[in-house]
Amino acid sequence: MINGKKVLALLGQPNSGKSTLFNSLTGLKQHVGNWPGKTVEKKEGSFIRNGEEIIVADLPGSYSLSANSDEEMITRDYIASGKADAVCILADSSQLERSLFMLADYAGIQVPCFLVLNLADVAKDQGKEINIKALAEKLSIPVCLLSAPDSKNYESFYKCLDEAFDKKTLLDSAALEKAYEAIEGYSELKSIIPDDAIKGYSSAWLSAKVIEGDKAACEKIIPLLNPESKRKYEAVVAKIQKGSVLTGQCKFAWIDDLLSGVVNKVQKKAEFTKFDKAITHKVWGKPLVILIVIGGLLASFIPALPFMGIGMGISALIAPLQEALLGAGAHPIVTGIICNVVIQSVAYIVQMLGFVFGVTFVFGLLEEVGIMARVSYVFDNTMARFGLQGKSVMPCLVSFGCTMGGAAGARVIDNWGQKVLTIAIAWAVPCGAAWSIIPMLASNFFGAGAVIIIVAILLIMILHMFVTANIFGRILVKKEDRYGMIMELPPYHKPKVGALLRYVLGRTKDTFLRVMKVIIPICLIFWLLSYTATGLPENTILYKIGSFIEPVTKVFGLNWKLFTAFIASSVGKEGAVGVLSALYANTGTIYGAVVGTNAANDIQTLLAVIPKAEALAFMFAITFNVPCIVALAATYQETHSAKWTAIISVYYTIFALILAFIAYHIGLLIWPV
Amino acid sequence: MRNLRDLKVGSEAIVSSISGDARYLSRITSIGITPGCRVRMLKNDKNRPLLIFSRDTMIALNKKESESILIEEVKAV
Repeated sequence: MINGKKVLALLGQPNSGKSTLFNSLTGLKQHVGNWPGKTVEKKEGSFIRNGEEIIVADLPGSYSLSANSDEEMITRDYIASGKADAVCILADSSQLERSLFMLADYAGIQVPCFLVLNLADVAKDQGKEINIKALAEKLSIPVCLLSAPDSKNYESFYKCLDEAFDKKTLLDSAALEKAYEAIEGYSELKSIIPDDAIKGYSSAWLSAKVIEGDKAACEKIIPLLNPESKRKYEAVVAKIQKGSVLTGQCKFAWIDDLLSGVVNKVQKKAEFTKFDKAITHKVWGKPLVILIVIGGLLASFIPALPFMGIGMGISALIAPLQEALLGAGAHPIVTGIICNVVIQSVAYIVQMLGFVFGVTFVFGLLEEVGIMARVSYVFDNTMARFGLQGKSVMPCLVSFGCTMGGAAGARVIDNWGQKVLTIAIAWAVPCGAAWSIIPMLASNFFGAGAVIIIVAILLIMILHMFVTANIFGRILVKKEDRYGMIMELPPYHKPKVGALLRYVLGRTKDTFLRVMKVIIPICLIFWLLSYTATGLPENTILYKIGSFIEPVTKVFGLNWKLFTAFIASSVGKEGAVGVLSALYANTGTIYGAVVGTNAANDIQTLLAVIPKAEALAFMFAITFNVPCIVALAATYQETHSAKWTAIISVYYTIFALILAFIAYHIGLLIWPV
Repeated sequence: MRNLRDLKVGSEAIVSSISGDARYLSRITSIGITPGCRVRMLKNDKNRPLLIFSRDTMIALNKKESESILIEEVKAV
């Protein structure tokens, strides 16, 4: 119960269709946050059943209830907290034997539950028939079949839910406990360990966990034992070997018994489709994944277009509004803040959001269909070098287009530390905006030498990713948390587009609000710093600060103008050249250049006045600078950590300046002043 | 005895024993690989995880770790 409302918790292995069920039940009524004190994403929502509001908690996905990860600990603690009035355990009907492991691991927990056999449509296609009634009798809990893509057919699900709530149905674990008795030491442990050493967990369940060597359970149990029991306990534990294998065999034997006579035996062959053959191909697998990402990026633009239209519409309001305000006698500073800071930021963010919406949707789709797991397999060895799972390649590839999209795409990574690390290295990938200005600048300044610069940028990118992965990886993905891959490649699922779309819309709204909170203050500060009543850059605060610290920035090859453009490039890279034009040639304003309202860039003037070594330093500085303020805000949104967002930003600023320093001094050797 | 890594593509085997630390054992068990279960090798490429089929499920496994899964080859059905 939470505030007198009933709580339903969803428990299931990855690919059991848990998120789809959660999205279908709650629609837009969901909230994503963090579990208190943990970095695991917490999804909660609600729905109305018989006029009563029911809260749904989506427990983090895991393969078992062992204490191997934060996700599993949170799941266990949540069940022990007594908040859930019923737990809905999901299993995949098409792989019943394996996916009922979660149910077997749950057996012995004294919280009402019911079983949902999801993906019933897939099982039916395999010719599998499941006798639900017989299964429910054996387990003494409600059981139903569910095809998640078929939302009209939830009646049997709701019936089970009602029954679990009303009758507080507990899973019958007697047969499994009987099987455990064959394990040496189990019976002795069970007689020593009290029920409820962890609230809601029976002594049988706890004994099995002790046999499995579950540290968290042992820590709870040991202080409760009297000296004599403790001695016995230690003697038993010392003798146990490969406990998880022993209990695992009992669990699967129990599942076999459960299913005998309940499911018809269908000999299922490995489903290795043509697509699987192609995507897992030794040679063609990786190019195919990259093609999928490019296709996904292009597809992302379709849902993104309406957002861009709205954003541009908002932008178009600025000029008339500005005139009207000034005409009505409003102060230029007030008008500037309203028009150039607030409205311009909103317009900019709405345009960018389209892309976030697109990427979240397309990636969500790839995840739901089952393609993401294949990507993970194909890129496992590559990304393992960074301490990451194969999926992490996706955000990095997307970042060639847009770092904000990359950060949003990191959502598919289920471990927080790996997610933050992925975003941190994805920042090193020069985004579309960098690619739109660097080759242009380079070919203007260095002619054919531009090719060398682009190759150098790509090499530094790879080096940067390695260095960053090394520095941050140590803290974010601890050595003991780095394992080899053990992952299911699920059969392809038909996605539930409607539910996914509602979820993505909700996420986009959340992102919008959070991004606004970050961007408006930063834009405001930047606007104030670059404000000039006379139109001359020398009147801005930026100039005063810039010229004051110029002796320092000169070391990096950046005079105050270049340094100002460098700072501006961390707000938006597209604007960096415009800022230079504004400063060197007086075309437009600094702020206007950054938010994209300045007209022309005056490259000819720049060529005449900027020495080559400084230009070189500048190019490296802005390419590897903080990608842009929207990417920063998206990083904050995805990592839920202001601390890590700040650490990554400062790190990138420093790294960019170091690269500028190196580039500048190499430049001085080539083109001595 | 041979380990899982040695199993050729298309061949089948019964897992005879698994060893490793408690964490590994717990993870490998929870995905359904236990002594006595039948596995079929789907893919065994260089520089890629193994791809096997077991308990109706396609599973990708790290190669190095799979050396601790010992098997007895059986005739494929």
